[in-house]
Amino acid sequence: MAEALASKDFTLSRSDCPIVQIEGWDGMLAQFELSASQMLGTALPVSVGDTARLADTLIVRVSPRRLWLIMEADAETPQPAIDPELGCSVHLGEGRVRFSLSGARVLEILSGCIAVDWRSPGAAPGRAFQTVFHHVPVLVLRTSETGCDMIVPRSFAHSLADWVADSASKRSSPGIKARN
Amino acid sequence: MLRIECPCCGLRDHDEFRYGGDASITRPGHDDPDPEAWYRYVYVRKNPPGPHREFWQHVTGCRQWLVVERDTRNHAIASVGFARKTRA
Amino acid sequence: MNSNDRRLPAGGRIDRMRPIGFSFDGRTLNGYQGDTLASALLANGITLTGRSFKYHRPRGTFSAGPEEPNALVTLGTGGRREPNLPATALELAQGMIAESQNRWPSLGFDLQSINGLFAPFLSAGFYYKTFMGPTRRAWMFYEHFIRRAAGLGRAGTERDPDRYEVRHAFADVAIAGGGPAGLSAARAAAYAGADVALIEQDFLLGGQLLSERSDGEAAAWLKAIETELAGLPNVTVWRRTMAFGIYDGNTLALIERNDDPVVQGVARQVFTMLRARAVVFAAGAIERPLVFSNNDRPGVMLASAARTYFNRFAVLPGKNILVATTNDGAYRAAIDLAAAGAQVTIADQRSTLPAGLAAEARRLNIAIRSGTQIADLRGGHAVKAAKLAGPGGNSEIACDLVCVSGGWSPTVHLTSHLGVKPVYRDDMNGFVPGGLPAGHFGAGSMMGRYSTADAIDGGHRAGIEAAAFCGKSAAAPAPARLDLGEAATDAFRAIPSTGRGKAFVDFQMDVTTKDIELAHREGYESVEHLKRYTTLGMGTDQGKTGNFAALSAMAALRQETIPQTGTTTFRPPYAPVAIGALAGRAVGHHFKPIRRTPMHDWHVANGADMLEVGLWMRPYFYRAAGRDVNEAYVAEMRMVRGAAGLMDISTLGKIDVQGPDAAIFLDRVYANGFAKLPVGRARYGVMLRDDGIVFDDGTTTRLSENRFFMTTSTAKAADVLSRLEFLLDTAWPELRVAVTSVSDEWAAMSLAGPKSRDVLAAAFLGLDVSNDALPHMGVAEAEFDGRALRIIRLSYSGERAYEIYVGATAGETVWRHVLEAGATFGLNSYGVEALGALRVEKGHVAGPEIDGRTTLDDLGLGRMAAKRTGFVGDVLRRRPAFQAPNRQRLVGLESAEEGKRLRGGAILFIPGDIVTGHGRGRITSVTFSPELGRYVGLALLAGDVAVEGSEVLATYPMKAETVRARIVSPVFVDPKGERLHG
Repeated sequence: MAEALASKDFTLSRSDCPIVQIEGWDGMLAQFELSASQMLGTALPVSVGDTARLADTLIVRVSPRRLWLIMEADAETPQPAIDPELGCSVHLGEGRVRFSLSGARVLEILSGCIAVDWRSPGAAPGRAFQTVFHHVPVLVLRTSETGCDMIVPRSFAHSLADWVADSASKRSSPGIKARN
Repeated sequence: MLRIECPCCGLRDHDEFRYGGDASITRPGHDDPDPEAWYRYVYVRKNPPGPHREFWQHVTGCRQWLVVERDTRNHAIASVGFARKTRA
Repeated sequence: MNSNDRRLPAGGRIDRMRPIGFSFDGRTLNGYQGDTLASALLANGITLTGRSFKYHRPRGTFSAGPEEPNALVTLGTGGRREPNLPATALELAQGMIAESQNRWPSLGFDLQSINGLFAPFLSAGFYYKTFMGPTRRAWMFYEHFIRRAAGLGRAGTERDPDRYEVRHAFADVAIAGGGPAGLSAARAAAYAGADVALIEQDFLLGGQLLSERSDGEAAAWLKAIETELAGLPNVTVWRRTMAFGIYDGNTLALIERNDDPVVQGVARQVFTMLRARAVVFAAGAIERPLVFSNNDRPGVMLASAARTYFNRFAVLPGKNILVATTNDGAYRAAIDLAAAGAQVTIADQRSTLPAGLAAEARRLNIAIRSGTQIADLRGGHAVKAAKLAGPGGNSEIACDLVCVSGGWSPTVHLTSHLGVKPVYRDDMNGFVPGGLPAGHFGAGSMMGRYSTADAIDGGHRAGIEAAAFCGKSAAAPAPARLDLGEAATDAFRAIPSTGRGKAFVDFQMDVTTKDIELAHREGYESVEHLKRYTTLGMGTDQGKTGNFAALSAMAALRQETIPQTGTTTFRPPYAPVAIGALAGRAVGHHFKPIRRTPMHDWHVANGADMLEVGLWMRPYFYRAAGRDVNEAYVAEMRMVRGAAGLMDISTLGKIDVQGPDAAIFLDRVYANGFAKLPVGRARYGVMLRDDGIVFDDGTTTRLSENRFFMTTSTAKAADVLSRLEFLLDTAWPELRVAVTSVSDEWAAMSLAGPKSRDVLAAAFLGLDVSNDALPHMGVAEAEFDGRALRIIRLSYSGERAYEIYVGATAGETVWRHVLEAGATFGLNSYGVEALGALRVEKGHVAGPEIDGRTTLDDLGLGRMAAKRTGFVGDVLRRRPAFQAPNRQRLVGLESAEEGKRLRGGAILFIPGDIVTGHGRGRITSVTFSPELGRYVGLALLAGDVAVEGSEVLATYPMKAETVRARIVSPVFVDPKGERLHG
C-alpha cells in the first residue's frame, strides 16, 4: 500500500515495512553476533544507530543487543534460525509502516516534527536513530542529504502522515526564511 | 528541557525518557519473604537535595534502563550509564 | 489622514518610499516601512496612547522597546484579536488595526478616570480592606464591579484562524541579544568555528546602536558587522525573535512574530526550542525613570527613547524639551534633539556636571541646571510645564516633552531563569547577573558596563569562550573598534520625590511611592510581600522600568541596603507569550496523536459512533443498534447473549515473551503461576505492583516451550512493557528473556455468543472447532486467504467466545469475512459500551475496580495466588492493613427500587448511617441488565457490612439521588459459568 503526497519540494510516500527482529542474550552476545553474521552472510552493524546493507535488506542495530532486519515492502520475510541458547527472533512485519520523505524542504519540515540536529554525526546519511514524533516512537533512517525514511507504528501512521502533510502544506514565516 | 545523554543513542530531550525512581536502593531477591525489606524498598527514600542516582528508561529510543546521577537542586546531570551490568 | 507632522523630512531608518496605512482607535493613519506602531503614532502627533490600570490616568508612550508600561494596544479583530501588546515592539505593517485599551468610551474621554477621585479608597491592597463590609455579602456585590474594572486588554473569544508552529533547532553557541555585545560575540564564535544562532527581538539588529545617528560611525560599524555576519555560513540570525526563557539543558525558548495582517499560508508566530551547547547573554540594560509627582503624564518618556525616536524613526517628539537626569547618558539625547532645532533644558540632579558633554550641550544653546530635580508636572492629557527645585529655589518651565533618566538596570531576567540570583553592585547602583554556570557567558551593558567599546570587547571575549566551550578554537580576528566616548557609569543615586501629587514607581500597575510607604507601615516589608501586596512588578512588563526604584524606596524605608532588601525572582516568560504559539499545530484533531485499529475505516463506514479511549479511536456503539448509546448498548448486549457479536479488540496490549527463562520470568511477574501452563493453552493472569496492589490483568498464551504471547489491558500496555523491561534490566539481568511489543502487529477481534462456534466453523472451513480440539482457554492455528490466524478460546463477556488474531494488514479482510459468514446466525458488530456492560454482568473486574488501590483479596481473586510465593507484590499484599475487616471488597449490587437506576461513583451507606462523608464504599461499574430487567453494578464495600442479601443506600449527591440496593453475588448472569464450557 503506497499513498503519496507530492509537491515540488517535498514528497511523502507510504509502504509496508517487513521487519525481523533478532536479539542476543546478555552474556552470549559475541557468539550470537558471530552466528547471526554467518547466517546472514555479512558483518553486523557494531553500535546503536549503525546500519549495514545486504541486498534489499537494511540491518540496523536498535539497542545494544537487538537488531532489525528491515526489508523492502514485497520482499520475502526470512525465517532466521537463531539458536535459543544464543538469542531469539520475532517478526515485526505487520505493525509498522515506512514513510519515505524526500525533497529540498524535508529537513525543515521534519524540524517541526522531531528534535534532531541534522548536522550531527548521528543523523548523517547512512545512519539510523530512534526518537519521538508527537509522543510516538519512530525510527528514522537518513537516506540522503535531503531524504529520510521514517518507520512508524501502524496504528499511528494515519495520524502522523496527516501531521507531516499539514506541516508541508504551508510555508514557514518569512521571518524564518529571511533569517539571514 | 532536561537533556540526557543515553550511552548508545546520544544526547536527547527528557521527553524521550520515562522516570523510574531511586536507583540507590537495593531490591530484595524475588523470593525474599521479609516484609521489612520490602517495606523499605517500596516506601523509604532519602530524597536528598543534591546528587541523586535514579532510573530513567529511554522509551522512544533503545528502551534501555539507565542510571542517571542528577542534582535535584539544579538538574545538572553528572553521569549516565546503563542499569544493566552487561556481561558481553 | 495625518500628515506625519512630527516626522523629520530626512534621516532615520525608515523607508519614505514605502508608506504604510494603518488604523488606531478607528483613525486611519500613515507611517513608513521601518516604523513601530509607537513611532508612527508619535510621528502623527498622537501622544495619548493608553489609560492606566486603576486610576485610568491618561498615559503616553514611555519607552521605545518591550519594557513599555503604558502604550499597550489590542491588535486585530475577531478571532485574531491579541490584547496587551506594547506598541513600541510592534513592527508597523500595512492594514494593521490597533485599538487602545482600558478606556470607555474613548481614550480622550474615559469615564473610569473618575476612579481618580476615589484614589484614597483604591490604594494598595484596597480589596483586602476597603470593601469587606458592612456585611459579609457586601464583598460579593463589590467584587462584581471590581472584577469588571480589572485587567487592561480584553481577550478574544472567537476561534483563532491563524496558524502557529513549533520548531526544534540546535546550535553550538546561542547569543541572546543583537546589540554591539551580541554582534561581536556572534562574529567571534563564528570565526572560532562554532555554529552560531544570534537572537534579536527587534526587526533590526543593533540594540543601543539604533539610538545613535543613522549616518554616523555607529551606523557604519553596525552595517559592516551585519554584512560580515551575513557572509558567514555558520551564523543564523533570528530577528523579530524574543528569547523569553532559558530552561534546563540550555534550551532557549524563542518566539518569532509575524504581525502582518495579510498573512497567507504562513505561521503567525513560531515557537522554537533552541538547544545550545553554550549561551552568551547580551541582553543589554533598560533605562530607569525618575520618581516625582505626576511623573506619569503623557509627554514623559525615557531619555534614550526620545533619542531613539529621533535618530531611528526621524520623529521629533517635542519642541520644548526638558531633560531630567542623574547621569551622563541623557546628555546625548539632549544634544541630538537640540541639533534638530528643539529648545532643550537639562535638569541634572548632580552638582558636578560632566565637563565635555556640558560644553557640547551649551554650544547648542541647551540650558543646564545642576543640582536640580523635577518636583511636579502640570498638564493632564499632555505635559505643559515642569516645576523644578534647585539650589536657587523653585521655578517653573514650560515644556511639551520631559525626558527622564534615573540610570540603567541591566536586563538580568534571562540569566536568572535557572536560579542564578542577581547580585547588587554598589559601584553602579544596580543588579548584575550572579555567578554564571559553566557554558554561560555574559557581555555588554547587561554586565553593568555601559560603554560601547567595552561591549564590543566583552562580546568578542565571550564569543571566543563560548566557542571554546564547544571545542571550537579557530583564531578569531579582533573586531573593528567603535568608541562612542561613554564614561564609566557613576552610581549617583536618584533623589527621591517630595511632592504631593502621585509619584509613580510602577506605571503599569499604578503603584506609587505612597503605596510602598503603606505596605511598609502595614508590615509588608519583605520584597516578596511588597510585590504581592502592592502588585508592583506584576503587570505584563514584569516591572522592567519600575522594580529598581521600588526596591530602593523600600530599602530606604527599612533603612537597609539594597542587597539586604533583596530582589524578587525572575521567571519566564520575559514578555507575554501567546498560548497558541506554545501549542503550535497540536490543536484540534492534532492535539494528541490518534491511534486507529486495522478495522477503523470499516467502523466509520458502518455506522459506528467513534469514542476516544486514551489515544485510540474505538467504536462506542453502532447506530444500527439504536439512536443513542443507551438504546444501542442494550440491544447489542441482547444480540451477544442471544446470538453472537463481533468486537474489535485490537487495542489490547500484546507482548512477545521469549527465551529459555521466559517461564520462570512469568512465574515471577504474575500472581498466579504460568511456568506449568501447557503449550497451546491460555490463562488469565493478574500482575501486582511491588506494594501488593493489583497492577494489571490480561491473558497469556503459551505458544511453545520458550515462547509466550501476553496480552494486557489497553490502558496499561505501555506501563506493563516498561515494568517487564525494568525487572529484566535491573533486578534479574541473568534471566534470558526478550520482551517486545507486538501490539500493532495483530488485528484482534472477539467473536462471542451462543452461536459463536457456528460462526467460527462457517468462517474457517477445515478448522476443528469441537470442544475437544478447541476447549475453553485452548489455542488453535488456522488460515484464511493465505494468512495465518491464531484463535484463542477465551471470554470476557461470559458467553462462549473466541479471540481471533491475524496480521494487522489482513485485519479488515478477516473482520468482513467473519461478519459475512456469521450473518445467517444473527452476528453483527458491537461496541465498547456493550463490551463493558457484558463484563459487569459477569462480575469481571476491569479498570474501575483495578484503580491502583485494590488488592487481589479486595477483588475476590485471592484464590489465584493462594498457594504461591516469590512473585512481584507477594510480600506486601499480606500486610495487616490489607486484611482489616472493614477493608472494601468487591460485591455485586442490584437496584432494589423498581425502575430506579444505579450510578457509577455512588457512595454507599448502610441503613442507620448518617449520610455524609465517604460512607462505606462506592459503586465502581454499572449497567442495565436486559436479562435481569434491572440495573446491576459492581461495588467496593467495607467487608464488615458486605452481607449478601442485605441492603445499602447508594447516594449520588450530584443528582441528589438515593437508591436502595441489595447486595448480591457479583456474577449476575450464568453464575456457574456453564455457557463458557462445552
